[in-house]
Amino acid sequence: MKDLKHLIYFEQLLLEANNELIRQAREDGKICVAYTCENTPEPLMNLPGTFSARLRAPRTGSMEVATYYLTSFLCEYSRALLERAIEGGYSFADCIITPDGCSMMNRCVENMELLKTMGKDKPKFFYEYMEIPMKGDDNGLNLYVLQCRNHILKPLAEHYGIDISDAAIRKAVAEHNKVCELIRAIGEYRKDEQPRITGYEFHILTLATYACPKYLLIDKLEETLEELKTREPDEKFPYRARVVVVGSEVDDLDFIKLIEDSGAYVCADRFCYGSLPGRDPIVLTDDEDALTQICRQYMQRAECPRYMDMPKMQGRRQYVADTAKEYGADGIIYEQMKFCDPWAYEKMLGSHILREDFGYPVLAVDRPYSIATSGQMRTRVQAFVESMEIKKIQKEGVANG
Amino acid sequence: MAKEIGKDRFGDFYKDGGKVRKRREWRGVEDTLYDYSRWLVIMGTLGKFMMKPRNVKAFFRYRWMANYLAVPMMVDRHTQGLRGEYLRICHTEQDLIIDDVAKLLDNLFRGDRRTGNDTEFSKKVVLVDENEMTAVMMGFPTLKCLSRETPSTYVSVLLNQHAAEHYIDVAQEFGLAGDVCPMPEAEAGVSIDDDAPVLGACAIQCNTTCDGSLLGNGVISRRLELEDGIPVFQLAAPLRHREDDVQEYAAQEIRNAIAFIEKHTGEKWDWKEYFECAKRVNYATRCRQEWLEMNRTPYPQVFGSNLALYTETNYMAICGRIAAFEKADRKISKLARQAYEKKKRAAKEYRHRAIIWGVQSHYYMDFLVWLLNCWGIVPLTDMLSMVSTRELAETDTPENRETAIYDMAWLTENMIMRNRTHGGYKVLLDELWEFTQQFNADMVILWEHMSCKALTGMHGMFEDRARELGIHLVWVSHDLFDPRIISRQGVRDQINNYMRTVMREEPIDPSLEVLHDEESW
Repeated sequence: MKDLKHLIYFEQLLLEANNELIRQAREDGKICVAYTCENTPEPLMNLPGTFSARLRAPRTGSMEVATYYLTSFLCEYSRALLERAIEGGYSFADCIITPDGCSMMNRCVENMELLKTMGKDKPKFFYEYMEIPMKGDDNGLNLYVLQCRNHILKPLAEHYGIDISDAAIRKAVAEHNKVCELIRAIGEYRKDEQPRITGYEFHILTLATYACPKYLLIDKLEETLEELKTREPDEKFPYRARVVVVGSEVDDLDFIKLIEDSGAYVCADRFCYGSLPGRDPIVLTDDEDALTQICRQYMQRAECPRYMDMPKMQGRRQYVADTAKEYGADGIIYEQMKFCDPWAYEKMLGSHILREDFGYPVLAVDRPYSIATSGQMRTRVQAFVESMEIKKIQKEGVANG
Repeated sequence: MAKEIGKDRFGDFYKDGGKVRKRREWRGVEDTLYDYSRWLVIMGTLGKFMMKPRNVKAFFRYRWMANYLAVPMMVDRHTQGLRGEYLRICHTEQDLIIDDVAKLLDNLFRGDRRTGNDTEFSKKVVLVDENEMTAVMMGFPTLKCLSRETPSTYVSVLLNQHAAEHYIDVAQEFGLAGDVCPMPEAEAGVSIDDDAPVLGACAIQCNTTCDGSLLGNGVISRRLELEDGIPVFQLAAPLRHREDDVQEYAAQEIRNAIAFIEKHTGEKWDWKEYFECAKRVNYATRCRQEWLEMNRTPYPQVFGSNLALYTETNYMAICGRIAAFEKADRKISKLARQAYEKKKRAAKEYRHRAIIWGVQSHYYMDFLVWLLNCWGIVPLTDMLSMVSTRELAETDTPENRETAIYDMAWLTENMIMRNRTHGGYKVLLDELWEFTQQFNADMVILWEHMSCKALTGMHGMFEDRARELGIHLVWVSHDLFDPRIISRQGVRDQINNYMRTVMREEPIDPSLEVLHDEESW
């Protein structure tokens, strides 16, 4: 396929946490709200006058100082973020908001605070920690609303004079939805038998919507969507199988690339920083305040394993099966970052259930934060692709008598 | 063989590769007779338990039951070197815990579909987690609140250091990563292995101490609800438990849990019983406060692993529901006061006053006894004993009924371990140094449970603060339930190395420095 016109531009944006668009938004006088977890509702951090940046640590090398503070038993994502913070790599942030989504992320941000890694020259800088629900019910919704009000909206209004009115929130949702709709429309092409976008390309675009100010991405995303409409797919599908990637945080450009280089087309992305369900538009009605509606939709759609009630647990596996079906996947790759407790359990159960109850071939892997060119991972994916091919051949053999 | 404290070389009691020690300790006529009589009582409890055919059946059905052969040895490990009031305090605590666990096992097997199969009894059983505060059961006197994980994994590892290995392996063979906490991992392993009694009208799970325990529950509830047909309620306790804006959420969870239990058991919440239990909780809190007050002086009386184990049982698993514990509280306080007035000490020499912080190794709970006897380090208090001191409303009034919901929520949020591992760095990091000052401690022994992310995530800050304050901080790494990762001697060596190289001290009892107890119970 012909290269996407803006792909290199998007790739360049993702090579730095403090990327060109973040610098531009700050020059526009906007407040940068840094965050670390998908359970923090994005529109509330993208109110008029603010923009959100989900923290990443691209091109991570040594994590020695962070390893001293967090030990080598915490996941590399939390260590990479702390290391980058200690190096001064997040000086662009004007505040940081994090839920206690997992212990490691909580400790990572607490260490950032205790070590005074950010906000030294910003008297209005603040750290906020949120409680978020663990069940998808009314009690959880009440908590979510209260926590978002107390730990996102109020501090933004008090420290930076941000308008947190219902109208301002609705405006933010409209902008958020614009980006979501674009990503969704682009992602639809992955369902084609001869897809006109690779999983890697899609991952780059999606990732940029988390790591950059959204309003500055819209024109390039629109152009990309237009370009895709007429993009000619390869004559022959260049992959040997189609897979859904499910699991914990993936902001590494190379991981999806490695899977695709090993012969498996990533047709759907059900991981943190992915588009499913992270780029579902938020539907607002006029009969209820926008904050409550946002929280409800975040809570209902959340696929995070920290949700512990049975409907949510069952729903997570059903969602993966439905996604696999919708995107025509041959198999599922469950991935977890090494030392991630929530996904360690979800990966174990999910991989058995998807295999035994839904009949999908499943590969379960754990991985470091930055995978680069891991031979081990490549071998595992290649072997998985081969096993799916063999199953296909066997199936066809049976069908042909 | 000596009557006096500290005359014996305790290391000589161990034999290479043996499960039990060479002989019992001679403590003088009176104390030896007392100790032996308590040993007979324990044997009687075990004998009585095994008289019932269903329990014999369970002994052969459930792999973990074999660990209960080690009960007398566990008590011996914790009474090492103790005399007089200390010995009696220890037995009062431990023997009551043993009796309570024996009753728990008996009840579990009575209702278990595979052994006793008493279906009417099973309808009155509500299952709870091992590490769960049982406050929500305080108003259900006619129901049995039983934990399957307590006897299958938690107590088993206290009895036999190798007890959980099989279940850890089962979970990992099933695909669980090897870097998660071995406690929920072993509990999940028991469930995967289908090695837990099946009974109960319903179950209440809770996100107890960590992400691992929250997620491990998912494995268990799947089997309970989908295979065994036992409905499960997940009680979500907020993590940031010191914040005002989470308390309503916590309270509503309690209301919902009570409604769930009422629905599935047909029983009604009994406020009279609740307030009786609340009185006992308050009494236990006052007693614990008194013991800790003594531990701030040069003459601590109720300390070490006995304090930790008893607090854990009484505060969390009992939560005022069983009157016998109030009686034990009273007796322990009386003995402690008696010894305190006589300015008694539990060991030959007290060299250092230490706060024990972090999550203790389950396969080496008697490590604190060793610290005292080998190096003269007095474990004044530990993280698990520094729990809520808030007094509960105990008079039945309409206002207090509403307060009681918040009290139960508070207790649930502040269950043992989670009150420090959740709630932000203030409760784990800052308060440690406050306690160090309050207890006049010169040393912190910091258990570094290597798969506890909440704790290891503060590693560097602990180091930095200790350095700033000039406190000796000794790290003791372990893997909670799995001595294959770090053995008991591996645990001891970390102290031995620090005491010799940094403190430049010689042990009080050199025979304890290296013990060949890899196979020991």
